[in-house]
Amino acid sequence: MRLLKLIPAVLAYALLQVTLRRDDADLVRRLKAHEPKAMADLYKRCGRLAYTVILRIVRNTAVAEDLTQETFLRIWNRVGSFDAERGALTPWVVTVARNRAIDHVRSQDGRMEASAVDLDRLERPGLFVDLDANALSIDRARRLKSALEKLNANQRTVIELAYYEGMSQTEMAERLNQPLGTVKTWTRSALQILRSELIEAAIA
Amino acid sequence: MSCQELQDLYELYALGVLEGEEKTEIDQHLGRGCENCRRGLADARAFNAVLLSIGPAEVPNRRLRHRLLASIGYERPGWFWTGMLAASLMLALALWMGTQERERSNQLADARQTLLQVTGERDRLNQALRFLSDPDTQPASFGKGQQAPPRGYVFMHPQLGVMLIASNLPAAGAGKTYEMWMIPKVGAPRPAGLFQSDGMRGLYILNGPLDLAALNAVAVTLEPEAGSAAPTTTPIIVAPTGS
Repeated sequence: MRLLKLIPAVLAYALLQVTLRRDDADLVRRLKAHEPKAMADLYKRCGRLAYTVILRIVRNTAVAEDLTQETFLRIWNRVGSFDAERGALTPWVVTVARNRAIDHVRSQDGRMEASAVDLDRLERPGLFVDLDANALSIDRARRLKSALEKLNANQRTVIELAYYEGMSQTEMAERLNQPLGTVKTWTRSALQILRSELIEAAIA
Repeated sequence: MSCQELQDLYELYALGVLEGEEKTEIDQHLGRGCENCRRGLADARAFNAVLLSIGPAEVPNRRLRHRLLASIGYERPGWFWTGMLAASLMLALALWMGTQERERSNQLADARQTLLQVTGERDRLNQALRFLSDPDTQPASFGKGQQAPPRGYVFMHPQLGVMLIASNLPAAGAGKTYEMWMIPKVGAPRPAGLFQSDGMRGLYILNGPLDLAALNAVAVTLEPEAGSAAPTTTPIIVAPTGS
């Protein structure tokens, strides 16, 4: 499974760094003013991360490059309604990147019609405000990485299908030839394990 | 459903993979301005971003940055160096083409010089043929009976002038030249032009009308390179005109 291969690997999260840094606000203001240098700075900060997320989903470098470009142009065109003071820029970029890749994979699989979810609606700039800065610390990312190792094969599979293939639980059940209830149980338990690891980290 | 029941679904909702009644429930909570769900979804978005970011980092090709910045009309500083490189290449190309052009020019000049020499030779031969073919030409020989002196002929024509053909005529040497003299029956020898030998043969033509009746002989002496107004050495060729 791809997720298994990811676990021992280097943390791309290091690229995420401290996502809610104070200089986000300044960068957002410059992006809003459509300063070209701001785009260069945004790409410097998030380019590798967005490309990594996209490539992991589409598994084609040429397509990943196209979608990364599309991601940054989308940010460029929609940053006007982003909250410079309360917004979390990097999670927004990561979400847009992932959604562009999922949208591509879905269209390749002919799943556009089947998907009842409007990805576009889920990446509106206004949704990425008041994110907990602590939740995005590098330490907690390490914890999350080690928590992935605690998942069993079924739990890892459903997490992978949801995050990297954009499958609904119904689609997972069909793919895995399992009852929908079973898939829901695997998904719920997997997320609980991952989440609890972060809660423990927060308490510690 | 309560917020407590929905909290395990926030991540899937934020990913856009939740469906059916569960999705509708969260939509309704958000529609009612449910702060718990809004807060929970904000945390879920942060959680998802972190989870998606875990893994080996990939490095995109540098062209992606160029493409992206070019698409918004931003000419990054790197283009300066690209421009400099292009300018350097153009300069090198121009220098190379200049060298080629100079080489071609030199070759062309050499070809022109060769053509002039060939044309000159041709003209001299034409003149020689005119001397030899004209019935009014009078020949005179020189050097006959000597061991290894220059030998040859002088052809005289009242309108064409004098043509001298000599064999066994050594090269004049550095700073020296051969000078032909018209030696009249009365008076001092008159300079009649300078010429060189290729080491074996010498051919010299003096154009212009000639008073054959007043001429006693044609002579050649070895003189300084610039020539002399009067002979300074003993003649090595003396061709009596016999008239």
